[in-house]
Amino acid sequence: MRLLPYGPRAVLAEFESLDDVLAADASWQGMPGVTELVPAARTVLVVHDDGFDRALLVPPLPGALAATHGAAEPVLVPVRYDGEDLAEVASATGLTIDEVVELHTATTYRVAFCGFMPGFSYLVGLDTRLRLPRRSTPRTRVAAGSVALADEFTGVYPRESPGGWHLLGTTALPMWDEGRTPAATLPPGAHVRFVRT
Amino acid sequence: MITVSSWGIAGRVVGPGVVGRARLGASRGGAVDQGSLALANRLVGNAPDAAAIETSGGTVVSFTRPTMVVLTGAAAEVVVVDGPPLGWGAPVVLPAGATLRIGRLTSGARSYLGVRGGVVERGVVEREGAVHLGADPGTPAATVAAARPEPSGVVRVWPGPRADWFADDALSGLCATSWSVASTSRVGVRLSGEPLRRGRDGELPSEGMVEGAVQVPPDGQPIVMLADHPTTGGYPVLAVVDPRDLGEVAQAAPGTMLRFVRL
Repeated sequence: MRLLPYGPRAVLAEFESLDDVLAADASWQGMPGVTELVPAARTVLVVHDDGFDRALLVPPLPGALAATHGAAEPVLVPVRYDGEDLAEVASATGLTIDEVVELHTATTYRVAFCGFMPGFSYLVGLDTRLRLPRRSTPRTRVAAGSVALADEFTGVYPRESPGGWHLLGTTALPMWDEGRTPAATLPPGAHVRFVRT
Repeated sequence: MITVSSWGIAGRVVGPGVVGRARLGASRGGAVDQGSLALANRLVGNAPDAAAIETSGGTVVSFTRPTMVVLTGAAAEVVVVDGPPLGWGAPVVLPAGATLRIGRLTSGARSYLGVRGGVVERGVVEREGAVHLGADPGTPAATVAAARPEPSGVVRVWPGPRADWFADDALSGLCATSWSVASTSRVGVRLSGEPLRRGRDGELPSEGMVEGAVQVPPDGQPIVMLADHPTTGGYPVLAVVDPRDLGEVAQAAPGTMLRFVRL
């Protein structure tokens, strides 16, 4: 772990792997004086009050992640696999449409981090056979609830927005509820399964 | 109740925002210039976290009952019809039937209309024709008007997490010259000046960003993040604005100059 400077009220902890990130994120939750904890691909941003002691940011022990998340029940996301790019994904990956759906629903994913917009969760664990680069031309409009993939990630667009991921289908499960804690349906560290409907 | 006949430029109801949800993809939101919101609330006797109206000009409101209001943040051309004049930083009770127009901003980028009792917030962007007021706070309003601080144009910065992604002198380069404000939004302020040179190509895996982060895209023209910034980003962050000077950035209008000083 390397601590990078980020002004008087934040520090950026950098790690070797996403597992280390998720372990640190889990072990630093609820630490007094920390106002924001933002995991990302290789880093955890820690925003804190004045007077917070950064020596408290001890790297987690090896294997800590398994202990924290091993038994978590997955969130089930029902999906209608009728996405605009389903046929294109099948042909680009050399699979049939049914095989694409089978592979996408066969994995228990983990939320690595959120970003882009409130409730947009980057899920990792995507089968290597389904990995495709982002679309060369992003769409100006992707519908809310679109289930999509790009690179090593899969996820759901919480609301209508521009987007460059490949669209596999749609879910009616809302990704953000302002009145709920946490407001995101798929917060960092959560386990997720897609279910065909 | 306040009837809103025009929200104007970027007019909306803002409170202090919500801290603690960056991990879910939601940045703080709320007032871009937190200090001006807090000042408006103090002047009308509200709790510090009451909501007000934020505007970049062109907002027209009228009042159905006598209401104490105050203007903070950017100085603006203000016209009151059927009521007493409203100056900067001086709370005034406008009578029922009065209409208030916050016109062109004359200095700064965002004005705040504080209202005794606070505006009841209903959603992130208020687009209804009326807003409702909270209960009278019961605490006294200020009896002395506030003095408007002149913008200094000077912003103190700390080294950022990716200062090592730039050519050796990039932080000095940021601080050596003045930067012109190309545009401002709730997301951030785009600056224009002598491009900052990267020492390394490529992109970072996305990482968390804070308000005040000075992010440098490949064109070398920095962007300073404000209240609605993306929670993660892939361009390297060269520097971070000292929290005390975020208001200076929030009030930097297009065409004005900013100078950075390294802490």
